[in-house]
Amino acid sequence: MSKHDLTINPPLMNAAGSLGFSPDSYNSVDWSRLGAFVTNPVSLAPRTPAHGERFIEFPGGFLLHTGYPNPGITQVIRHYARHWSRSPIPVIVHLLAENPDELAKMTHWLEQVQGVSGLEVGVDSDASFDMVTALTQGAYGEYPVIIRLPMERAIELAPAAIKAEAAAISLAPPRGIYPSGDGELVRGRLYGPAILPMALRTVHELIKLCIPTIGAGGVYEQANANVMIAMGALAVQLDSALWRGGEYRFVK
Amino acid sequence: MGYHHSRVVEIRLEAGGQWEALIACPVEAIPHVGQYLLASNMDDPDEVIGVPLFLAEKSRHGFWSAPPIPAAWRPGMKLDLLGPLGHGFRVPREVQRLGLIALGESISRLMPLVDPIGKSHGGVTLFTDLTLPRMPALLEAYPLASLQDALDWPDFLAIDLPLQRYTELRNTFGLSGGNGLICPAQVLVTTPMPCAGLGKCGACAVASRRGWKLACEDGPVFDLHDLIW
Repeated sequence: MSKHDLTINPPLMNAAGSLGFSPDSYNSVDWSRLGAFVTNPVSLAPRTPAHGERFIEFPGGFLLHTGYPNPGITQVIRHYARHWSRSPIPVIVHLLAENPDELAKMTHWLEQVQGVSGLEVGVDSDASFDMVTALTQGAYGEYPVIIRLPMERAIELAPAAIKAEAAAISLAPPRGIYPSGDGELVRGRLYGPAILPMALRTVHELIKLCIPTIGAGGVYEQANANVMIAMGALAVQLDSALWRGGEYRFVK
Repeated sequence: MGYHHSRVVEIRLEAGGQWEALIACPVEAIPHVGQYLLASNMDDPDEVIGVPLFLAEKSRHGFWSAPPIPAAWRPGMKLDLLGPLGHGFRVPREVQRLGLIALGESISRLMPLVDPIGKSHGGVTLFTDLTLPRMPALLEAYPLASLQDALDWPDFLAIDLPLQRYTELRNTFGLSGGNGLICPAQVLVTTPMPCAGLGKCGACAVASRRGWKLACEDGPVFDLHDLIW
């Protein structure tokens, strides 16, 4: 097994942005139910929260517009690296980069940190084929690299990532627009069961292309995750279902 | 943080004409005033995200939860509760003149603060522009416009403030330029908290003098003087 192989057992993970920056025992989450932990998105420089309305519900889901706030990679490593080294499950650090050079810099720093088992790289919704290739190459090093592609363009862009030796593709929440309470149009990421059919189609098409795929999007019940696994997904990422509870209330 | 089973027992109209729900739950599940529980109706396949519940009034077998509550909720419905979560109001014991400022859609989240002051023979005044068909006892109510002239009365202020009205606070107090509020004050910032502290998703971020804070875990009650407003 090479250092770039990816095995997630059990085949469930949290999606980036759903459970914070480390598997914190304070949260009383039963980590044995997840095969890996994905951090919140981390950027080179700190990012502040988005202005304006950040959460809007609609039938079947909600829109989230947060700006992926985080204190920047040096602070994240300073605060969380020791938690990563004590994590009961493998930790995958999710990286946001403006360009491949930023990504290479962050990758290099993380390779000096104990407790990291992999990287997941977020790709912008308007990224080109060449940018996906460059980002994948920028993150390539000691860890397996998962490229998180915009769901709407995953089928188009996945071959670029795999050709550049990504270990797998994961799926970012699709993006949409919805009016806020005062009528302003808000752009953001879409979550909720309404997303599931789109996610299932994307996973299905990626598997047909023999793309190693981590499914995500609208999974609120284990039966939905089982469909993705049966299609051939390596694992399934859970996002807002972890906040709602029920089958995926992993809080002890 | 704990995980509790509960049930909706009754639904009633509160003073402002909105719906409150009586939640039967273990006593350890009852949130302190200003804290919250995350409630999920596991029998509702259409429910996408949990609902934050705040204390409006304690009851024999649980508590009345402040509005808003989902329109689909009915008596008999089972709820899973996570919490209590967050930090609530901490009104010093020596407070004798409590000012309540309700800038949201209901006064209910502030009402549990009234009785302790009444029992110590203090006074409570409510400032709000909400219509109050049923006036709570032990309370005098005034419109927000009178607040500016009354700021020398309270020795503590407790504020219920929707995040989207944050920028109006200075005008509400009639403060200009860099003038600050002398009176100690705490503010319950109400905003969607979809991850309830589990994810640090940033949806509930509030600007403070020590960087961005999250209402879901650093609040939702903050010392007003710690916030940038």
